[in-house]
Amino acid sequence: MTGRGSVVRGAAGAVLAVLALLAPLLSAEYVLSLLTLMLITALLATSVNMPAGEVGLVSMGHAGIAAAAAYGVAYGVKHGFGLGVQLLLALALTLLVSAVYAATTMRTNGIVFLMITLALGVMVYGVALKWSAVTGGQSGLTGIQRPDAFRTGPAFYYFVLAVCVLVVLLLHLFARSPLGLMLRGIRDSEHRMSSLGYAIAPAKFVAVMVSGVVAGVAGVLLVWHSEFMSPATAAFERSAMAVVIIIIGGIGSVMGPLLGAVLVVGIQYWLSSYLERWPTLLGALFIAVVIFLPGGLASMFRRGTARPAPGTVHPALDALLPSGWRRRTHEVSAPPEPPVGSPAIDRKGEGT
Amino acid sequence: MNTQARRTLRTAGSALAALALLLVGCSSNGSGAGDGTSTPAGASTPAGASTPAGTSTQGEGSSTPGEATRSSADGGGSSTTGGGSGGSVTVGFISPVTGFAAALGTDMKRGWDLYWELNGDTAGGVTVKTVYEDDAGDPDVALTKAKRLVEQEHVDMVAGPVLANTAYAVANYVADQGLPTLQITGADDLTQRQYDPHILRVGYTSSQSNFPAGQWAYEQGYRTAATLCPDYAFGWESCGGFVSGFTAAGGKIVEQVWNPLGTQDFSTYVSQIKQLDVDTVFIGSAGGSDAILLFQAWTDFGLDPKIMIGNCCFADEVFLREVGDTANGVHSFTYWAEGRDSDTVRTLVQEYEKRYDEIPSLYAAGSYMMAQVTAETLEKTGGAIDGSKFIDTARGLTFDDSPYGPVSFDDHNNLVGPVYLTEVQSRDAGGYWNVPVKTYDKVSQFWTYSPDEYLKHPVFSRDYTGIGN
Amino acid sequence: MSWDYLAVQVLNGLSFGALLFVLASGFTLIFGLMRIVNLAHGAYYLLGGNIAISVNLATGSYVLAIVVAVVATGVVGLLSERLLLRPVRGNEMLEVLVTVGLAFVIADLSLAVFGGNPRSLKVPAGLSGPLEMGPVVYPKYRLILVALAVLVGVGLYLMQRHSRIGAIIRAGVDDRETVGLLGINIGRVFMWLFVFGACLAALAGVAGAGILTMRPGADTDILLYALVVVIVGGLGSIQGAAVGSVVIGLIDSFSRVWIPEFSYFAVFAPMALILMLRPRGLLGRAT
Repeated sequence: MTGRGSVVRGAAGAVLAVLALLAPLLSAEYVLSLLTLMLITALLATSVNMPAGEVGLVSMGHAGIAAAAAYGVAYGVKHGFGLGVQLLLALALTLLVSAVYAATTMRTNGIVFLMITLALGVMVYGVALKWSAVTGGQSGLTGIQRPDAFRTGPAFYYFVLAVCVLVVLLLHLFARSPLGLMLRGIRDSEHRMSSLGYAIAPAKFVAVMVSGVVAGVAGVLLVWHSEFMSPATAAFERSAMAVVIIIIGGIGSVMGPLLGAVLVVGIQYWLSSYLERWPTLLGALFIAVVIFLPGGLASMFRRGTARPAPGTVHPALDALLPSGWRRRTHEVSAPPEPPVGSPAIDRKGEGT
Repeated sequence: MNTQARRTLRTAGSALAALALLLVGCSSNGSGAGDGTSTPAGASTPAGASTPAGTSTQGEGSSTPGEATRSSADGGGSSTTGGGSGGSVTVGFISPVTGFAAALGTDMKRGWDLYWELNGDTAGGVTVKTVYEDDAGDPDVALTKAKRLVEQEHVDMVAGPVLANTAYAVANYVADQGLPTLQITGADDLTQRQYDPHILRVGYTSSQSNFPAGQWAYEQGYRTAATLCPDYAFGWESCGGFVSGFTAAGGKIVEQVWNPLGTQDFSTYVSQIKQLDVDTVFIGSAGGSDAILLFQAWTDFGLDPKIMIGNCCFADEVFLREVGDTANGVHSFTYWAEGRDSDTVRTLVQEYEKRYDEIPSLYAAGSYMMAQVTAETLEKTGGAIDGSKFIDTARGLTFDDSPYGPVSFDDHNNLVGPVYLTEVQSRDAGGYWNVPVKTYDKVSQFWTYSPDEYLKHPVFSRDYTGIGN
Repeated sequence: MSWDYLAVQVLNGLSFGALLFVLASGFTLIFGLMRIVNLAHGAYYLLGGNIAISVNLATGSYVLAIVVAVVATGVVGLLSERLLLRPVRGNEMLEVLVTVGLAFVIADLSLAVFGGNPRSLKVPAGLSGPLEMGPVVYPKYRLILVALAVLVGVGLYLMQRHSRIGAIIRAGVDDRETVGLLGINIGRVFMWLFVFGACLAALAGVAGAGILTMRPGADTDILLYALVVVIVGGLGSIQGAAVGSVVIGLIDSFSRVWIPEFSYFAVFAPMALILMLRPRGLLGRAT
């Protein structure tokens, strides 16, 4: 956050940060639990957002990876292993499943990537359902407890918050690394990157692995949050939900997943207690966002000039691609939402 | 050409991204797994594929199932409520009124409301208030809603939900908070190996009513049988009851066919059954859409409905409302027989029909009975709800004529009561219903075994669907 | 496994595939010209089926049920195109997202109207029941589904080959900018094609309501199958949809018999495999 333009956003961020930190003091136990769930959901959405925003790969199966990690923890708890072993199991399963995702999709893009991840997600769901000796089948596994260190609601909330911040920072660093920039180049013109001699497939492999690990972290937090595990966690709807969240929030933006998660989780878990026709509301809201706010909710918080408009060039590409190259909005799979925080964008944010 | 193609793919890709919403929005069930997921509305313990954002809500313009009763906000903040007249207790009622099981959740809510409407909402000197929650058929949503009920609404006890996976999730959480919870889900283990003093099942396990079915089939002269059950816990347990009963009597199971929950096209399974030359076929259906589709395929392929033996939920009202006449004469083993000749059942059917223009289903009756147990226990405790003590008191209740007939509870907190062999008949006043033709009294969840002996066996699964098998 | 049993299972696969084809053909047709992955297609299916059931219950007429369902759904399609898709015309991604929101709303509202109970369409006595063909006894209605699919397929093929609209569509699939330059009112073509697609979905809904139930979630269930069909066959290709529906129908049917343990993902695993080896689908256009 170097540019002057980021001052405004920085201030807004500071207010948000203070609110986030004070949340446990201000809110009731249940509300805090809902906030925690929103953060975790945002983290899962972030894992989908990363390859979608950075590489143009939209996954419809990431709940499968999250579920694999969660089953690792659940299995560890059920068999009386310590925290270390639980996490090792979760990590091993996350890496294994992510590697399958990554290896089978590294040479694909667009709809093919989406459909293969969808299929893999359904398969994870199928395994969770069928392998009942380990997963408890459809009935799920009860009696899972999160570690004593954050047994209480506020402690767990802070832990989740810290993890989310950490993950976002790490992803930010990743996006700015040479590999991150290359991935963006792939998103905007795979053909060009390939002609320039970049190895596309390995780069995509790494991108999916990284996002898989994030999904795995979300999965661990999720099972600690609900202290219950069932195949529903791997269900297609969860993967789809993550995509809905980033579309509403704004694909490719840092705050997008959080905004989307707050809204969608809020409607689904909270508003549904009061409003019977909430799915219609969610649908209408979605249409409204799509028509009036193509950059998602996140773009509302940006000044007019910085909002995505047809024909804008992704600033992060200036350094990477020859000048004169331009892409058209409707040719890419994601709305051209500039990632928050990169220096190039901050300059743009000033309207220079 | 190249760009064109790529563009196509990209567009399609982004487009499909949107599938997401669709799923969230329109689906209500876990359609994700291809055939695997969706569950019939009406399913009994499906545990299914749950959808986060289910969608439908039973419409019909009737009350607003999704809405919580806000009036009950304050339960006093403590988890136990002292009795005394003039006070009030708050019950959290969770059922799936949106999503794939919407029909079922709506029936539950109606049954629950009907009891308080007919009998007044005061019991043991306290007013009973209900806070409703919708779980959309998803265990995680159910759990979140349960937390809301406990932590924000400070409810004194919880009733529901019904799908096995949501029930396990909620019952365990609520019990951990030291609150009593009433269940009507069939999931066997909740009152067996996972018995908890805070959990009372006001209903039968999935296998319980099917032990006599196996025995009866053999007595009919049937020597070979096939089973067709949904491929998850509820189906395994339903089949487990029948297979145990049938093989113990000397019958032989020729083939066990498992259909994924939410199967759309039953033709392959019915064809499989058809080529087997068996005397009878046990159907362990979760009801709803699955049952209707199965039955349609059954008659379309020219099979005789008379050789079917249904479980509790196969030929339930949700099914009969749709299938009607062709199901005449279908046999089931169940505990809710809406055509039974008893004052309680007659009143229940009459009053329910007056309000909703439908004959009450198993879920409506079950919830009605949950309310009845709540009220009568409150009478005994003088309006106090105090954790497992409340359940202890409830377990001591006996009913001469409950919606299920004369019932009591066993020491594992499950109902012991009659199982009826029913036959679908057309009703003079219109519609179709299940009329008992034979009654098996005092059937226990452990059947003829002692609890200790029974519990040595593993819980029924796909690989283990029958004691002695 | 006897031959007539095998024949029955083949027919099971084909007839389910036939239903998928009727649904998928409209889907793939819209995609071919408009580049819209119309995710409201399943909602139109559900709407069509539900309207048919209600009309049939009210009037007792099967034919009227079909006509009303198809026309009413067509009108809904027309309104969606005019009111919601038009404002974002030209940006395919936004168009698709709009159809998603639309699907959401249609599904929820139609469930508010039609209720959560699973419903099915009473097929006239002449069309239901078993038909004996030598040793094989098979439901008449499912055979009619196969005939319907063949009729729709041949009709669409003839339309594409021998009509002006077909020529426009074929040209549009290759290069729609040029079609626009030729002075053809592409906006109008889009509109009617979208309506036609909605009508086909409604027809599939009516046909499907005879063997499946209309219930919450039926729309996504079937749409997912249709998606797999068009992806396997090749997006935008009617022939691809035909091949895809036969392949998926048969895989679905036989996996249930032979490998029931894997029937949860029997359809998805081959799809993933085909996509890995041949990303454009079996009959998709070469890249």
